[in-house]
Amino acid sequence: MVIITTGYRDQLATGLSGSGSPRLESCLLTRAEVLFLFRSFLRTVKQFSDYNIREYTRRRAADAFRENRALKDTPAAAVAFAKGKQQLEVAKRQAALYAPKAKSVMELKVQ
Amino acid sequence: MALSRRLLPLFLRRGAPVPARALSTAAAPAAVASEDDEEAITVKGVRISGRPLYMDMQATTPVDPRVLDAMLPFYLSRYGNPHSRTHLYGWESDAAVEDARARVASLVGADPREIFFTSGATECNNIAVKGVMRFYRERRRHVITTQTEHKCVLDSCRYLQQEGFDVTYLPVRKDGLVDLAQLEDAIRPDTGLVSVMAVNNEIGVIQPLEEIGRICKEKGVPFHTDAAQALGKIPIDVNRMGIGLMSLSGHKIYGPKGVGALYLRRRPRIRVEPQMNGGGQERGIRAGTVPTPLVVGFGAACEIAAQEMDYDHRRVSALQQRLLDGMRAQVDDIVINGSMEHRYPGNLNLSFAYVEGESLLMGLKEVAVSSGSACTSASLEPSYVLRALGVEEDMAHTSIRFGIGRFTTEEEVDRAIELTVHQVKKLRDMSPLYEMAKAGIDLKSIEWSQH
Repeated sequence: MVIITTGYRDQLATGLSGSGSPRLESCLLTRAEVLFLFRSFLRTVKQFSDYNIREYTRRRAADAFRENRALKDTPAAAVAFAKGKQQLEVAKRQAALYAPKAKSVMELKVQ
Repeated sequence: MALSRRLLPLFLRRGAPVPARALSTAAAPAAVASEDDEEAITVKGVRISGRPLYMDMQATTPVDPRVLDAMLPFYLSRYGNPHSRTHLYGWESDAAVEDARARVASLVGADPREIFFTSGATECNNIAVKGVMRFYRERRRHVITTQTEHKCVLDSCRYLQQEGFDVTYLPVRKDGLVDLAQLEDAIRPDTGLVSVMAVNNEIGVIQPLEEIGRICKEKGVPFHTDAAQALGKIPIDVNRMGIGLMSLSGHKIYGPKGVGALYLRRRPRIRVEPQMNGGGQERGIRAGTVPTPLVVGFGAACEIAAQEMDYDHRRVSALQQRLLDGMRAQVDDIVINGSMEHRYPGNLNLSFAYVEGESLLMGLKEVAVSSGSACTSASLEPSYVLRALGVEEDMAHTSIRFGIGRFTTEEEVDRAIELTVHQVKKLRDMSPLYEMAKAGIDLKSIEWSQH
């Protein structure tokens, strides 16, 4: 599985093209950690100014957490958790990036 | 516009004679007015309250935030030229380009050495059509393409005709698919290229690539496909589909505009004459500095597409069904242009009978949809693709293309249905033709009196 090693820190040392494997947390992934990550996503998503990106990120995060619920205590769960944290970092950077004034028609009209 | 309105009170206070209101202690009304104005957008004499909901994914797609995140470092700090061999900036830029190349290649089942970055699918189509035919100009004088191809392919073929090549423009069936028997008959011993696009940008039909690839392989003719709309949406495997050349575009898969890639098969090797001469970049196929940020974005977009293809496909199919069902429940006499079985679900081209197309579009200002294709919208003619399908003039004029993508929500689809149905009903109420058709009169039998 290739993970996009993005980020403003220099990733050259870890190499590119997926050779930088995620640091595996201990296999005991607690429910509290997962919930904290999910709530962080929901908090970050509120900062997106674009309606479509905001709705997509919220929906995709919820679906991804729901899909991976079945993984429980396997190492795959730790990998998914690490990927989730990395995606949260991406979302945090992007949410703070650009906030134009004009809102989508979907957000303005109250019907 | 909004900015100048906000600055206006400042100017008034500084230089001009002070209006009496400015001396009062009441809150300045100018600030309140400008906030209202900032929300409303006035463009071309039309005032809309906010940005329209975007349903034109075939024209272009928004950039995915994950893609933008991958691109930004290469604009901010890692801005080196990938062809600089002597310093870190060049090395890291080159590494990033090769990394992106590998990601693009893995999405289509190719080797990274077979991918060449260009400025977009139009440039790729030009290189493919003109480059291949010019390289083999001694022995190959014939090109086969279809009538529903993208304008750049058709224009390149017309240019080749002026140079003395023969071109066969294959007709398509009513559902938009090419007839395989006709294709096989059209291939001559001196055919140098068969070009059939994978997914049509106007009607969304998926051509039978595997069968066409098999026919071309048997006859020994290179098969070129314009996969700009297909990349990342349907699974593409260049070996299973026997593809020799393929045009890919970045801004159709939630990547940046201005980048594309040409797939050029190595075994058996397909040679092209380069259309851009220069410093020998991209193995001499396409000279010019490779734009690292764009290419990195393209690679990231391809990677995300590979991961999200199933999820997106399921969602987009469900949304298309929702759109169709919602429309059909409230309005009748809707015709879908193109095959429903062989279709990419994110592209829905509908014709509403008894409704005039331009007036329908004028009423749909809060939905960004397209009628026909952006490439042909300059002229008043109905789209040549619909004409090739055999759609009649009046139905071709009322066609609307709804594009559904990764970021489309259910609420947007519902709002699009609501707005379209409202506009269609309004126009049909005004239409005498609709009254006559409902009364049972056959419109074709009417003899219009001439004045």
